[in-house]
Amino acid sequence: MNAYKRYAWLYLMMIPIFLYFLLFSYYPLVRGALISFQEFRIIGDRPFVGFENYITVLNDPVFWRALVNTLVIGGGILIIGFAFPIIVAISLNEVTRVGFKKFTQMVIYIPHLFSWVVVGGIWIYLLSPDGGLVNEVIKALGGKPTHFFTQDEYARPLMILSAIWKDMGYTCILYLAAIVGISPSLYEAAKIDGASRWDEIKNIMIPQLYPTMKVVFLLNLLGTLRIFDQIIVMGNPAISRQVDVLMTYTYEKGILEFKMGVATAASMLVIIATLILTIVARKVLRYDEEA
Amino acid sequence: MKSWSHWSLKRKFFYSLNILFLLLLVLTMIIPLLNTLVVSLSSNIESMKPGIKLFPTEINFEGYETIWRKLELWRPFYNNVIVTVFGTFFHVFLSAMAGYVLVQKELPGKKWMTTLILLTMMIPGESIMIPLYVVNKDLGLLNTLTGLIINGLVSGFSVLLMRNFFLSVSYELAESARMDGAGDFKIFLRIYLPLAKPGLATVTLFEFVSRWNHFTSALLYINDDKKYTLQLALRSLIISSDSTSSSDFITANVRMAGIIIALIPLLAIYPFVQKYFVKGIMLGSGKE
Repeated sequence: MNAYKRYAWLYLMMIPIFLYFLLFSYYPLVRGALISFQEFRIIGDRPFVGFENYITVLNDPVFWRALVNTLVIGGGILIIGFAFPIIVAISLNEVTRVGFKKFTQMVIYIPHLFSWVVVGGIWIYLLSPDGGLVNEVIKALGGKPTHFFTQDEYARPLMILSAIWKDMGYTCILYLAAIVGISPSLYEAAKIDGASRWDEIKNIMIPQLYPTMKVVFLLNLLGTLRIFDQIIVMGNPAISRQVDVLMTYTYEKGILEFKMGVATAASMLVIIATLILTIVARKVLRYDEEA
Repeated sequence: MKSWSHWSLKRKFFYSLNILFLLLLVLTMIIPLLNTLVVSLSSNIESMKPGIKLFPTEINFEGYETIWRKLELWRPFYNNVIVTVFGTFFHVFLSAMAGYVLVQKELPGKKWMTTLILLTMMIPGESIMIPLYVVNKDLGLLNTLTGLIINGLVSGFSVLLMRNFFLSVSYELAESARMDGAGDFKIFLRIYLPLAKPGLATVTLFEFVSRWNHFTSALLYINDDKKYTLQLALRSLIISSDSTSSSDFITANVRMAGIIIALIPLLAIYPFVQKYFVKGIMLGSGKE
């Protein structure tokens, strides 16, 4: 009785939290799995149709196009978004003036706080053919203005670059914190051996960054399959064939066309892919092995 | 480190190159923002003229007037404040409460509770959007601000963060309070919360930013434009051209004014963000 009383409050405090996760995480997961095997109707019964929705998805060329776009855009963001901030962080660390260093850090971090609507709004205007800054510069230099956001060849690079622009500062801070945390004695030893600054970066700093790199890579990897609001905001009918991704496919099928069974089947495939990707990446990176 | 005058020519060259690289990077951030600000402060006519706009030639609030009053941005702005303030408050409180429970020693079932919470972080929210839509519909939460507050009431990430902050709170202090007859809820409120102020600040800031910027949930659950929140309204005002009638042409200064309005609360908290984010990011992304 005493033990029960001792812990009763703690369990009571956990109830709202588990109620939330049950309703908004676990139940939707189960419900999603169910819907993906049903023919979904708003009214009336919803008969189970086996793998029919999955077959529909896998035979839909739009799904495969979305998959390719996700891999290209997501892959681009993953690789550049992982590597470029390392360069920036190392570069920032070399700066001896504290003021400039702080200022740069502050400025490159700002866009991470912006929503995709804001980032989209800024960049769409910046690159617009009527009055956008980039085209005004092109015109001033004697070139012809381009409608960047409607051109196939710019569509994917623009998505990748804007994502880098938005989140680079955030990743950079992670790396920078790791660089600052490197024990000075490691450099001292290298100095005695007559190492140049470049040697130090290559042989000491970068290996010391490996644990942070793993964290960043894993976090970004999971993000790639989830790209959604960026595309909803910055995509448009002219370039949708280049930039439609898996999550926008799900949204369009499920919410706009109301084919919920098909949409959910597609997102179940994404969840499975995410799980496999996570497990494989953790194994390959040996994420769980060291402390 | 030796000073500039003692450096070799090669070192000076690379150092300058490095500074140049960073300056260029800073410019790619500053120029778009400056352009947005300058255009937002120009008149309708001025904003339609071609030319490079990076220095203000006038200060004109026509764009702000139009988007705030005529296009009624005040309403989604107000809705956004409601969702952000209440959403953040409850989120922080509940996450802290869960974090507190998870640092209790010898609590039976603690391990599987922790696992269940951590597992929710593995479920990508976007990929369950259809069943989530169904759940919200069944609960009658569609087209309500309450629904937007409830979605995201707590998160595995925030619970983990608070738990990590609470781990540094002295257990003996709580134990002695317990001896004096204080209950767990009281210990949580009176001892743990005040001692984890940096933790609370971090989670509050994280949640404030993501609530202020929330878009996907509003896109899914709201279609009554009286209930629109800021990002949804901004999207239809400044990005989707089809949402505006041709008689009500939205000039660039109006659109940029909308962006600046959406940024003001974020820039206002930015100094605090700098103080707490790095620590928060490290704690949150850190391994167990």
